[in-house]
Amino acid sequence: METIDISIYSLSLVFLLLAVPVILSQVYGLGLIKPLLSSATRMTIQLVLIGVFLKYLFLWNNALINILWLFVMILVAVFSAIRGSSMKPDKIFAPIFISFALATFVIIFYINMFVIRLDHVFDARYLIVLGGMLLGNSLRGNIVGIDTFYKSIRKDAKKYLYVLSLGATHHEAVRTYMKESIRLALKPTIASMATIGIVALPGMMTGVILGGASPDVAIKYQIMIMIGIVVSTMISVLLTILLTSQACFTEYGTLRRNIFIEDNPE
Amino acid sequence: MIKYENINLYFDGKMIFNDLSLKIAKGEKVVVLGKSGLGKSSLFSLILGFVRPQSGRVSFDGDPVDEHTIWHVRQKVSFVDQDVSIGDYKVSDWFSFVAGIKSNHSLNFGEERINELMDLFELGRDLLDKYISALSGGERQRVAIIVSVLLGRRVFLLDEVTSALDKNLKKKTADFFIERKDWTVVSISHDAVWLDNPNVKVFDLEKKAWKQ
Repeated sequence: METIDISIYSLSLVFLLLAVPVILSQVYGLGLIKPLLSSATRMTIQLVLIGVFLKYLFLWNNALINILWLFVMILVAVFSAIRGSSMKPDKIFAPIFISFALATFVIIFYINMFVIRLDHVFDARYLIVLGGMLLGNSLRGNIVGIDTFYKSIRKDAKKYLYVLSLGATHHEAVRTYMKESIRLALKPTIASMATIGIVALPGMMTGVILGGASPDVAIKYQIMIMIGIVVSTMISVLLTILLTSQACFTEYGTLRRNIFIEDNPE
Repeated sequence: MIKYENINLYFDGKMIFNDLSLKIAKGEKVVVLGKSGLGKSSLFSLILGFVRPQSGRVSFDGDPVDEHTIWHVRQKVSFVDQDVSIGDYKVSDWFSFVAGIKSNHSLNFGEERINELMDLFELGRDLLDKYISALSGGERQRVAIIVSVLLGRRVFLLDEVTSALDKNLKKKTADFFIERKDWTVVSISHDAVWLDNPNVKVFDLEKKAWKQ
């Protein structure tokens, strides 16, 4: 069972579908024509380029190049994560990068080595595709986690300082906030785990099935990736919080005053 | 015990202290007096390392308060903030939370001791099972005071701890602290029970001088 290719001619039929929103936008004056077409163009160009790139990546299948590309993906993920955060980029860039890189590598390595048992652990197809899924899905959790952590400490300043005054170590004082933010970061993933397959066919399964594998292979991959996502989100959120501590707390254990974007510079 | 030397403190570009000096000896009972916005609470924040002065020196028990000593200082001082709590838990959780902090492990947070203090501050035993958010301002103040006493420390920083109490309890609470000879107590308050007590020294923050 091979995936049926879509010819250029057929693909143009897909673009024809765009006529529907274009006409509707015109009729109802939605003003969506320009953004829609520009986004569709951008998407096409980006995907064509990445298609060519991945083709060679899979062709060469060189471990070093594959790892390098995974790093580029992590970098892009980090930039995107930082944009969505209310924290100042210079405070969180390095910690998030290290956390994402470590969490992704550990999980991918474990999966490729022990679960799928690849001969070639850094095989492009598995490394890039699985890495992309892990990154894409732990991103949101990570931002929720780190934002919640620092915002709730700031909001709770009085209580936080009181706990410090009771003789708590820094670790003891932040523990409640750490628990709460990790819980919040993982909540959507845990919830979607419980309804998966019933509400929607997840992306990984769709891909594996379209790729020609049978559903029972597909579900195994899906289970594997979901657990991978939970674990890597957890690792990356925890690491991000630990690694940002140095930059975001003073040596007195209090929150620095210039860590949020909305803050005035010191 | 507590020494402020030539403190300059700015906060958000606003001057709080300009060349402030103040010495509080061991065992002294001091009330800090002054209009709101004068920075009375900042005096406490300086000892507890919540803010750092732009210049000048704060010392505690002979040692300068810095990033190394501060963790030790916080274990020596009992701080009661205005309407402070640990969040929406039960009163009994408040006690167990404080007792659960590692540096407090050797303290006596036993039922007997808690009950004794609850009686003294006229709180019913059933209060332990209530949620902190359901307490009145005065009840919460008294729980915070009890916690501060249970910590077994000898230096107290009390920020408006008698403000929400009735006349009788105000007196009882102030006297409770003033009568302990070995306790060093700094209280921010406008209550006469502190100000009029002959054993209490009054520091006027506006004039930066002791009141005669």
